Amino acid sequence: MQNTTRQIQTDVLVIGGGATGLGTVRDLAMRGIRTVLVEKGDLTHGTTGRYHGLLHSGGRYVVKDPQSATECAEENAILRRIMPQYIEDTSGFFVITPWDDPDYGDRFLKACHDTRVPVQEISVEEALRREPVLNPKISRVFEVPDGSADSFMSAYGIARSATQYGASILNYHFVTDLVREGDRIVAAIVEDLRTGEHKRIEATYILNTAGAWAGKIAQLADLRVNVMPGKGTMIAMNHRMVNTVINRCKLPADGDILVPIHTVSVIGTTDIHVLDPDVYGIEPDEVTFLMEEGEKMIPGFTRYRALRAWAGVRPLYREESSAVSDRDVSRAYKLLDHRKRDGVDGFISIVGGKWTTYRLMAEEIVDIVAARLGVSTPCRTAQEVIPGGEESKLYWLGHNLAHVEADDSYGDLLCECELVTRKQVVQAIRGGAANLDDVRRETRLGMGPCQGGFCTYRAAALWGEVKPDAVPTNAKNNGKLAQDGAGMPGTALVRHFLQERWKGLTSIMWGDQLRQARLDQLIYVDTLGIDLLPEHIRPPQPENELVTGHPAIATEYHHD
Amino acid sequence: MTERAIVVGAGLAGLMGALALTEAGCRPLVLAKGLGITHWVGGTLDVLGTTGNQSLRVALDDLIANNPDHPYAKLGISEIEAGIARFRAVMQQAHYPYAGSLERNMILPTALGALRPTAYAPITMVAGDMRQGGELLIAGFHELRDFYPPLAAANLREQGVAVRNVYLELPPSAKRLDYSTRTFAFFFDDPDFRQAIGRQLREVRGKATRIGLPAVLGLRDPVEAVADLQRLTGAQIFEIPTLPPSIPGMRLMNIFRRTIEAAGGRVQIGSTVHRAGGNADRLTHLYSEAAAHDQEHRVAVALLATGGIAGGGIGTDYTGRVWDSALDLPLHAPAGREGWFASRFLHREGHPIFAAGVATDDQLRPLDSAGNLVYENVAVAGMALAGSDPVQERSVTGLTVTTGWHAGNLLARAMQAHLETSN
Ligand SMILES: Cc1cc2nc3c(=O)[nH]c(=O)nc-3n(C[C@H](O)[C@H](O)[C@H](O)COP(=O)(O)OP(=O)(O)OC[C@H]3O[C@@H](n4cnc5c(N)ncnc54)[C@H](O)[C@@H]3O)c2cc1C
Repeated sequence: MQNTTRQIQTDVLVIGGGATGLGTVRDLAMRGIRTVLVEKGDLTHGTTGRYHGLLHSGGRYVVKDPQSATECAEENAILRRIMPQYIEDTSGFFVITPWDDPDYGDRFLKACHDTRVPVQEISVEEALRREPVLNPKISRVFEVPDGSADSFMSAYGIARSATQYGASILNYHFVTDLVREGDRIVAAIVEDLRTGEHKRIEATYILNTAGAWAGKIAQLADLRVNVMPGKGTMIAMNHRMVNTVINRCKLPADGDILVPIHTVSVIGTTDIHVLDPDVYGIEPDEVTFLMEEGEKMIPGFTRYRALRAWAGVRPLYREESSAVSDRDVSRAYKLLDHRKRDGVDGFISIVGGKWTTYRLMAEEIVDIVAARLGVSTPCRTAQEVIPGGEESKLYWLGHNLAHVEADDSYGDLLCECELVTRKQVVQAIRGGAANLDDVRRETRLGMGPCQGGFCTYRAAALWGEVKPDAVPTNAKNNGKLAQDGAGMPGTALVRHFLQERWKGLTSIMWGDQLRQARLDQLIYVDTLGIDLLPEHIRPPQPENELVTGHPAIATEYHHD
Repeated sequence: MTERAIVVGAGLAGLMGALALTEAGCRPLVLAKGLGITHWVGGTLDVLGTTGNQSLRVALDDLIANNPDHPYAKLGISEIEAGIARFRAVMQQAHYPYAGSLERNMILPTALGALRPTAYAPITMVAGDMRQGGELLIAGFHELRDFYPPLAAANLREQGVAVRNVYLELPPSAKRLDYSTRTFAFFFDDPDFRQAIGRQLREVRGKATRIGLPAVLGLRDPVEAVADLQRLTGAQIFEIPTLPPSIPGMRLMNIFRRTIEAAGGRVQIGSTVHRAGGNADRLTHLYSEAAAHDQEHRVAVALLATGGIAGGGIGTDYTGRVWDSALDLPLHAPAGREGWFASRFLHREGHPIFAAGVATDDQLRPLDSAGNLVYENVAVAGMALAGSDPVQERSVTGLTVTTGWHAGNLLARAMQAHLETSN
């Protein structure tokens, strides 16, 4: 390995800063085990940051995947107890629309009882009274304890708690290699993407919680883990048209769930097999399909404004050579003990599952590791509440408004759409954000209808004032996140953020959104002339280059 | 109800068209859903972006020779010049003159520190022309969240410009709960405020011979404001356009409205034209809606200047349909959403969907996809036109002003001919 400069020793190294990895590192730390987590992007960079937002009741899986259903039902009850600040108790309906098999209702009801998913049939009138925009032609409605959950905010809450218990969490740390000595994995080579520095992290156990990337990680140890990335697309509509999660009551299919989260409603998802979890796009016909499925649940759905679309990749695990389609692969998770499976010790993978089951997955993998390390402290994550989270991060618009009014900080608003103040942005920048996209994740900057037209320039300029010497994680420079526009990070940040927004929006850009994009072009191209900056400030970007900068954390939505 | 000249859209194209019609005695009625893109543009008159030392006139000649479908090609150089001349005369009369030429673009700094070409600029901006030397100072206010001197200066320095930056203090009398570009424009309308700022600028000026400020130096008399600040500082002062709402854009809008209304035209903002009626080759009726009231208008001639996608004149939906929301004219647009965009926001050639618009004949009259005339008494101007992407070629204001003027004149003639034959 080239210039490995630093060595770190720990008991357990966790790979992947999604819900599973974070839950795992917290569980380890709570049991007093020394542990380090590495994540190649920011926390929730992977599927956890691109999911549908549903705290599953289990209802979706009762017929097809009963084990999964029961796991969800049990974890649902636990998560409501240990992390209520990140969960909204929306409740959920399973509705039979004119497009669904009316006989499925009875099967569904029975399967709920069999899998211990709480359920109650309610009258159509009652459902329509509670959700007036619902299609009045529905014939039956079953209520289940679905909820919606904030995976960004909860990830930070779990991480904070883990750190308080002594865990060390390193984001922008990319695992480039695993070191195998005989029948044991003994260390990981990690590149700090911000500095280009390589570190060797030695651990008694290395846990592969890299979700859809688990196969790629296993490969570094010459092990075969067959993870099929199944891409799913979701669209957020700018209106909280329902307050209850709406599921179509049928076998799980595409575009059959609508989840209210904060001020929006999210329709999803599709399920398309992709070869590489880092390379996928959102196709126009997926979007058209989702819009039309939305119309079946909520007549008039297509007239609402689509705010943004994104896609995530499911970490579906499949044993070698089984020939089922992605939707038919079990949603249950699978723990792969490589000692038993492949005769390689020091390395355990856990794949599959759902956000809803992250805690259970963590418990199971940590139980094994703890036993092997001779630690007998039992798991407490099902009882111990995750502290914090109430103070700053709730990003319901009304909350921000209250803050703004209390602080008298109207004059300090950088993002008028989402009411994000200068103070919040400065805090996020000082708090270690690597680019404006990270600031967005923390503050919701640029998430409103103007698509960042105003706040991007403001926040980037502010960045330059807060951290005049900082180098943004933007340009690719011999594989380093480096010197693009050193001394004037603002420009690179603007370009990066605008591109990220563009990538996230083109698939739903029509009507008002399209108009807004044109107006943003008027600002950035016509008025500010960002395209006119010379190339040493604005590096040339051939079309085939990965857009997020470092190839390790680039997700290329290949549109052309 | 008599037949009228109707202009749909109150952006620069619609206003120039209305001006032409007004001056020809046609007393147009301008119907617009909202304010045009004047509030989104920096207020310079950009004819065409050129690079390096290229002559603007040569670049225009090339464009016209090589792109017969380009709106400029339908006008020709002399009509382009006529539109610009009329625009400048109106501004001159309003004590807000524009300087520049068609020979070479000026190079003005942007709020991001880029060097931007433009043919003509209000004289409040021309001292920023980077073709001259001397040390610069860029000054702003912490309270104005739409302008950041350090960022602009850093990028300019990177391009070899000698420049410093500074934040100024607001005088105590200028404390507000919230600040926008408009708040600052009101401040600068006040001579006492200018005094306070001018004194500070003199102190921090150092060796700078030119001082750039955000383009918020007043709505009432910005030329006087600049003169004041120059007296107080002994340096040349220039404005740098920044985020919307654009104060220079508002100045344009105000001047046009006053000029048109003083000459007998009417501008009605808040009226959405949503339907048209006609016979074989003439548009006869337009229907507008204002405050839930439907209005019917009989049409002698009509100018479609609805601003394309930016102006809301072109509607689009998730199925990939693209339509003219006012007159329902046939549009020239890429088929299917998969063909709308390039993968990068800042793609060098722009995005195909943004070139969507109405194809026209040489007299800017709408054509269908087979090339047949749709209405003989309708003309199209500005960003509603197919054949170019003005943002990409840096011709937004130039193209809207000149096509608006040309279309207005053609319609005035058509209207006179029509009235003669029908009398
Ligand atoms: C479209 C879609 C919708 C979904 N909706 C829901 C839902 O509504 N409810 C629900 O409960 N579940 C849902 N899920 C499932 C759920 O999102 C995932 O199961 C869960 O987020 C997986 O978390 P994870 O931590 O295992 O994986 P991830 O969140 O993907 O975390 C893995 C991390 O590993 C990192 N990584 C990869 N390679 C490396 C490397 N070499 N070095 C360092 N780090 C690396 C990645 O950057 C990533 O952050 C959905 C999934 C999809 C795809």
